[in-house]
Amino acid sequence: MDVKIFQFNGCNKCFNETLLLKLDTDNKIQFISEPQNWKGEKTEVAVITGYLLPSDKKNLEKIKTNSERVIAYGNCTTMGGIFALANQHGYEITPLKEFIDNQINVNGCLGEIEELKSLITGDEPSELKTLCEVCARSATCEYLDSVHRQIELDDNETCYNDLGFLCNGFIAKECKERCINYNTPCRGCKPMVKRSGIRMLGMFGTLMGNIEVATEHSEKGATDKLGDEEDDVIRSLPDILGNFFRFTLPTSGLPKGRITSSGTLLENVFTGRLIEELPLISGLLGGSKSISLTLKIIESYEKANQIEISEGTKKYREELLTLETDLKKALENENPKQYKEITNKIRKIAGNMNLSNIFFGGFKSKINENDTFDDYKTHVFDVVEGNYKNGSVEYTVDPNGIIKEITIIEG
Amino acid sequence: MRMSECEITDELIKEKIQDVVVFMCNECGQGSANTAGVARIGYDPSIRIIRVQCTGQIGPIQIMDALNNGADAVACVGCCLGACHFFNGNVLSMHRIKLMKKLFKELGYSDQFVNQYTSRAAEGETAVGDFEDIIERLSTAIKDEGTIKDGC
Repeated sequence: MDVKIFQFNGCNKCFNETLLLKLDTDNKIQFISEPQNWKGEKTEVAVITGYLLPSDKKNLEKIKTNSERVIAYGNCTTMGGIFALANQHGYEITPLKEFIDNQINVNGCLGEIEELKSLITGDEPSELKTLCEVCARSATCEYLDSVHRQIELDDNETCYNDLGFLCNGFIAKECKERCINYNTPCRGCKPMVKRSGIRMLGMFGTLMGNIEVATEHSEKGATDKLGDEEDDVIRSLPDILGNFFRFTLPTSGLPKGRITSSGTLLENVFTGRLIEELPLISGLLGGSKSISLTLKIIESYEKANQIEISEGTKKYREELLTLETDLKKALENENPKQYKEITNKIRKIAGNMNLSNIFFGGFKSKINENDTFDDYKTHVFDVVEGNYKNGSVEYTVDPNGIIKEITIIEG
Repeated sequence: MRMSECEITDELIKEKIQDVVVFMCNECGQGSANTAGVARIGYDPSIRIIRVQCTGQIGPIQIMDALNNGADAVACVGCCLGACHFFNGNVLSMHRIKLMKKLFKELGYSDQFVNQYTSRAAEGETAVGDFEDIIERLSTAIKDEGTIKDGC
């Protein structure tokens, strides 16, 4: 079978993962990283990865007319993905279904390669359970007294939402990356319902029932009405967009964002997010660059605020950076076996390819059976206002822990 | 927040307010609207009342459906605080609407076109007063060019 894989814009994480298609197969696989220069030969299956802009329309139509089946692989293509958070600042990242019809979607950040494999060969992909069904934690769904922004690692049995951490597991399908196994609430990259963000917002609004909401006296009606002032409900969720619409902003049905944009598209993804979300977002941006970016963000903050790092943490972080250089080499050589080996090693330390395990001050879960976890365990840190800089990354944090400005020099 | 250079006059605002969807609960909300009808108190003709069992049924999905299908503003009118005929539907709805307001602010819009009110079934003026407040808030939102349908 003739398979062509196209990478449009974005982080290359899904595109890199498709290298694994080359393992044990008779299919003829071709990687095209510059679709604008593609001549347009007939092909059986076209796999599209990366986020799409209105300017990509012509190339997408060319792919559609020349291929029998089109598969959208990864969240950026199917729903907008993490990059679509830039739509808050007026960008127009658009999901594939707006350009062409009859495409097959493989959701996920990162999309699952097994699912893609079975779709290419034409097999039925296996039925997936909801994430809550496979989660080891149990829920009571009682009203919350407060919402917590940073995870505390003591309780392994109660549902994240019950503890007051925003977990998108309610609307998600089970996945391979499984952030919940590394003390990170689900990011919601594999939604099983339409308009998942809005549904999650309604659900969480209800859960917040015990948190006081501001009311005021209405002059005209002579009764009470919802107040306009800032209350505990608003303070509990400083960044609703980044929490509930992380991957689905263009398909959520919300109007287009009108906040004035400054800087590049990538910088706009980070602006307005919370400081504790930063390493989790940068972790999503592709294996071959994301590790160094994530560690740079974390280290600049740790250094400025005197968060102590243990020897164990340093050792694992160095190991990750070496793995990143190896990964780059494997990708240059297009060597799937080497790629698999290295990503497995990264997964062992960082939890998954989204680097869920890496955090400020250490790691969120035990890496090696023989380790003492306390050696490199993270703990809750204070949000400190200020400007942080480390090499190619510079960012400003406001008193609420929201990123006001960020500069990322790529390369 | 101003997006265009056109002048927004009072007539234009009046012209732009066409459909205001108000979800009223079957108990106090609808009750007070009925009382207002019996007492023949007039209110703005752009108000479109939708009867629901409890404002606790209304969440972001219903609000976005109304707005995406052409509503200029959405409001909920429920029972007074502590007087929900079920348990606490009016307060839960307030939480969700407060979050929706925050969400619109994050996207760069005004937060004045989604609101929640309470009313008393025995007093028709409370419902009509709420309607007046909805229109007033929507007018400020249009003036600031913060509504979803912007421009002249």
